[in-house]
Amino acid sequence: MTLAPEVTDVQAIVEQVWSSFLGEEEPLLPRLAEPGQFAADEAWSAAVSISGGWDATVTVELSAPVALSLTRTMLGLDDIDDAEDGDVADAVGELVNMVGGNVKSLMPGPSVLSLPAVAAGRAAHPSGAAEIARFDGIWAGEPVRVAVHAIPQP
Amino acid sequence: MKILVADDSKVMRQIVIRTLRQAGHGGHDIVEAENGRDCLEKVSSEQPDLVLSDWNMPEMNGIDCLGALRAQGSQVKFGFVTSEGSDEMRARAAAAGALFLIAKPFTAETFNEALDGLLG
Repeated sequence: MTLAPEVTDVQAIVEQVWSSFLGEEEPLLPRLAEPGQFAADEAWSAAVSISGGWDATVTVELSAPVALSLTRTMLGLDDIDDAEDGDVADAVGELVNMVGGNVKSLMPGPSVLSLPAVAAGRAAHPSGAAEIARFDGIWAGEPVRVAVHAIPQP
Repeated sequence: MKILVADDSKVMRQIVIRTLRQAGHGGHDIVEAENGRDCLEKVSSEQPDLVLSDWNMPEMNGIDCLGALRAQGSQVKFGFVTSEGSDEMRARAAAAGALFLIAKPFTAETFNEALDGLLG
């Protein structure tokens, strides 16, 4: 069984990262959600992998409105229409980088954090990947998910 | 004074520059680099007084950039701004010659504490 971060720690990390960028507008609140497909018609997602002393993938999924709001705030844009794909990818990638980096600090090392990979869509995981921690949240009525998956070992 | 901000994320470079302003260090010249190799070249061409660098970057990461700078004989003041703030990372940063490591997410106060006395 793969060592897993405490869900409460994952939640604390996400809330801390969130409050530094979007928390002044509205708080990120936990919500009860079933495991399975992320519930948003349009989503952005990003992943980082941690490998070495502990192997796992950390993913974030945001509905498109959240991703745009995050981008506007992080880039200091006045008009949300000014955000291009590359800007959103930068913002969502940085979000998973911060969450993943903080999760990595909790777990056994030494290990290496990958560069983020971002997609304009929900996350998908290989069939052998096991979810070992998940935080579902709601921000301004929109869903946010952070998940940690153990990388399947051969 | 001139500050070089190195991060592959444009978003993060903007946040660092904004936080420098919030921390009362907005009057300095800012130069940006996209990765460690770009940072290395710009330290040579721009001669900054301080480098604020991410750790994880494509082409050349921050720790390798710092190693290359010190190997070339550069003593430029260097600090990390990174999502990985563990004791192990801080020790590696210090061993390579970094003056501080600011963990993300950060506040203007965190910047102030790290930069206190470093910028005239």
